[in-house]
Amino acid sequence: MTIHRVIRKVQRFQGWFGGGAALCLGAGLYLGLIGSPPDYYQGEVVRIMYIHVPLAHTSLLGYTVLALGSLWYLWKRDPIVDNMCQAVAALSAVFTALALGTGMIWGKPTWDTWWTWDARLTSFTVLLLILIGYIMLRTFVDDHEKEARYGAILAIIGFVDLPIIHFSVEWWRTLHQPQSISMRGVSISSGLLAPLLCMSIGMSLLFSYMVMVRTQLLYLDRLLHAKKGRLLSQFHLSKSDS
Amino acid sequence: MTSFNVIRWIVWKDFVTELRSRETISSMVFFALIVILIFSFSFSMDQQAAREVIAGIMWVAFAFTGIIGLGKSFSTELQNDCLEALQMVPEAKGAIYLGKVAANFAFMFVVEILLFPMFVILFNLEVVEEISLLLLIFFLATVGLSAIGTLFSALTVQIRAREVMLPILLLPLVVPVMIAAVEATKGALNGDPLAMYEQWLKLLAVYDVVFTVVSFWMFEFVMDS
Repeated sequence: MTIHRVIRKVQRFQGWFGGGAALCLGAGLYLGLIGSPPDYYQGEVVRIMYIHVPLAHTSLLGYTVLALGSLWYLWKRDPIVDNMCQAVAALSAVFTALALGTGMIWGKPTWDTWWTWDARLTSFTVLLLILIGYIMLRTFVDDHEKEARYGAILAIIGFVDLPIIHFSVEWWRTLHQPQSISMRGVSISSGLLAPLLCMSIGMSLLFSYMVMVRTQLLYLDRLLHAKKGRLLSQFHLSKSDS
Repeated sequence: MTSFNVIRWIVWKDFVTELRSRETISSMVFFALIVILIFSFSFSMDQQAAREVIAGIMWVAFAFTGIIGLGKSFSTELQNDCLEALQMVPEAKGAIYLGKVAANFAFMFVVEILLFPMFVILFNLEVVEEISLLLLIFFLATVGLSAIGTLFSALTVQIRAREVMLPILLLPLVVPVMIAAVEATKGALNGDPLAMYEQWLKLLAVYDVVFTVVSFWMFEFVMDS
């Protein structure tokens, strides 16, 4: 069966992803926490950036994968792709929530507030709401095929909407008042860039590794349910025979 | 029966049902009145303060009532298995979508037109000059709401807890419509020059086109069974 061949291939590669993630994250944490200088303006506080920015990048990457996987599912109706979408959505939601959380922790000392309706914060919040909606929608559908189809539709619509949401929120904030608090420019010194790059790659690898494991888990779970259903119906049949 | 006829019959069917039962529009209007009442309790407003928040209140009321109408649009089709009958229409499913969008748009727009004078009276607005511009804003925003709302009405109608899931899924996705509609309405009510909020109208137009096309395409997958 092809689906088993795919899973076997994934199983052969997933160790590389997990190991690579451990390596990159370890190196990134060492560079970020010990090896790099504190920021001129922000001091030691800047080190949370090495967690926060990779989390945000990875959750956006995750949403892109979710939308592409959903398109693929609507086209080919591969059940394993749907399992992947489900895994990606849950993990993206976790990463987005963590990105918002670390952002708040970072915002308190630097902006002197936990929360501000800044453009990027607002669009990330909306992204999190869409992902939670996706997860809720899936739990409220009884039929497997329908659950996958509806989820895919929502993911695609949300993906198309995301840039529009971002633009509208950006205009909304910039029109009203000049942003009193915003992140400093992207220009970053190389001492800070190396750990950031390491952590970004490591976080993406970790995300992929977790998606691979969870996809297999969801696949096996559904297989088990199907088998259990068959066994139960056989049991009932044999009981009614005797 | 061509696709155009499918659209026309669906609109006709929804209009006749509405004329006979008068359920959707009356419940939408009364719900909106209650929302307005609650809001006027929540904020104690003089005329100056009213100008600042009235656009927001207006669009919250319109969006909530719109969701009521949108939810009813497909849940009435559950009676007597009408949904299955719709799925059996041999023409492209997109025709059903366009018919439903047209009907939902009409209901929402009528309700907005009925409610707007209430806002004018209750909050002492002066709107004589901007009335055509306001109508344009209402039109663009309502097209956006009904384009994406009709898709999600069809999607949530067959799942558990559909009354809860429709707003949960829909409201985050219509954030751009809400922001643009509120900002444009605020500009028009303040009598600002059009150039100051023209971009919001453009954003609404882009949103309408994008989501009518994408939802039209996605509707095939919602109805396919």
